[in-house]
Amino acid sequence: MAFSSNNIRSDFPILKVTTDDHPIVYLDNAATTQKPLAVLQSIQDYYLYSNANVHRGAHFLSDRATSAFENARDTVANFLNAGQNSHVIWTKGTTESINLVAYGLEHLIETDDEILITSLEHHANLVPWQQLAFRTGARLRVLPLTSTGEWEPEYASYFTDKTKIFASTHISNAIGVATPLADMLNEAKKVGAYTLIDGAQAVAHYEVDVETLDCDFYVFSGHKMYGPTGIGVLYGKSAALEILLPYQTGGEMVRHVAYQATEFNVLPYRLEAGTPHIEGAIGLAAACDYLTKQDRPELLKWEQNLAKTVYDELYLDPRIEIYSPSSNTTLVSLSVPDVHTLDLNSYLDSKGIGVRAGSHCAHPLMEQLGVGSTLRASFACYNTKEEAERFCEVLLEAIDLLAD
Amino acid sequence: MTHLLDSQTIQSRLQACTSKEATFKELVALSNQLERLTDEDKSEEHKVKGCESAVWLIEEHIDGMCHFKADSDAKLMRGVLVAVLSLVQGKSKADIQAMDLVQELTQFNLGSYLTSSRTNGVLGILKKLSS
Repeated sequence: MAFSSNNIRSDFPILKVTTDDHPIVYLDNAATTQKPLAVLQSIQDYYLYSNANVHRGAHFLSDRATSAFENARDTVANFLNAGQNSHVIWTKGTTESINLVAYGLEHLIETDDEILITSLEHHANLVPWQQLAFRTGARLRVLPLTSTGEWEPEYASYFTDKTKIFASTHISNAIGVATPLADMLNEAKKVGAYTLIDGAQAVAHYEVDVETLDCDFYVFSGHKMYGPTGIGVLYGKSAALEILLPYQTGGEMVRHVAYQATEFNVLPYRLEAGTPHIEGAIGLAAACDYLTKQDRPELLKWEQNLAKTVYDELYLDPRIEIYSPSSNTTLVSLSVPDVHTLDLNSYLDSKGIGVRAGSHCAHPLMEQLGVGSTLRASFACYNTKEEAERFCEVLLEAIDLLAD
Repeated sequence: MTHLLDSQTIQSRLQACTSKEATFKELVALSNQLERLTDEDKSEEHKVKGCESAVWLIEEHIDGMCHFKADSDAKLMRGVLVAVLSLVQGKSKADIQAMDLVQELTQFNLGSYLTSSRTNGVLGILKKLSS
């Protein structure tokens, strides 16, 4: 059955908010998505009926909280086709997941080793590797992907026997293009590099199967896929997670502590120091369930059609430059050379339309594109064709008002 | 020297705006009052730090009074600059330092244009005016 946002909009009460009598049009979904009632309810239910600290208590509520928390891990493992639930580590989000790996692998990195990333990375998948390179004397290299995200045979030469880590985004947050994951991971495997994929912009849209991808690590945030903020996931293969040294230590992650030494717990707990974000994990699992209930290929098609609507409406306008692909994307990133993106953003905001203007935490990519900032309209499952059309209409009004 | 509208006129125009859209249009109209800086004047030295859009501010002294020139690459910010400069143009440094510029600026009814992430940038401008 074809997906339509009409059938699910009522799951997101916030969409009824108005400003200056305009209904809000929320097109900043790549920054964070709105949350369906099912997610909100799961968090409230946890606090109403199950709140206690997990794992160590031996009483009714603690058992209940622990099983809700560990069931959430199972749900996420299934969501990713991750096999065992011990492959799922809870983190604060994508950024912490990447930092956890960057610190955890540090003991394996030596001077003159290479860490390879791509030119389409968010700062979160750049700075931790750059800093790891600084700490170890390794060299950060950048695979020069173009804004079309296509694989070129000469890229293979970037993967060498010195490449110890390869990290790439799945989907660019700034321009929405998908990277050539299969080709890149294939080359990375040939040279025996650890591989990490930043799935922050992918999980809300694509059905991710980590077994098929066959990467060592896959990371994402809950709040960009209809879940709560402050919770994220580090998926890792058993061997890859085992090799990580814990980057935080303390409670929950230990088996036995003496003043002389500490015996760490097994995975996944070894990498989860401190009381976890229990309601975050439960809320994220509810978001996974929410997505799994949808016809996901149709949902993706719906979102891609919205981006396509915007692209088709605007690409012929000589005043507008579009940086996103013409199809197979769920966002449109653009600029108007004569008009500041912040001004466009303000006019759209005055009509209730929320988008994002800026460099999208991707300064090097903006430099590559030769633009200071772009205006990004990013779509989620609850957006409508009318909203996409309204965005175009108001954007064109803004350009008329603002162009000198 | 730029002849800007006086701050009373600007205030009443902005106070008459009852929606974000009206404020937006008024700021666009105000922005046209600002005399643009030359490329040489838009130097690193004159740049105000902490603004989302680029803002340059130049201070000159004539007969002991302050005269400011400013520019931004964003049009709405140029409108805000016209409002801000109307408060301080032609005054002595001591007078400017005695003013509560943040309080004065709230009279302009800039609402969301100042409560958003733009605030820090505007505060940076006010700080530079009285330094």
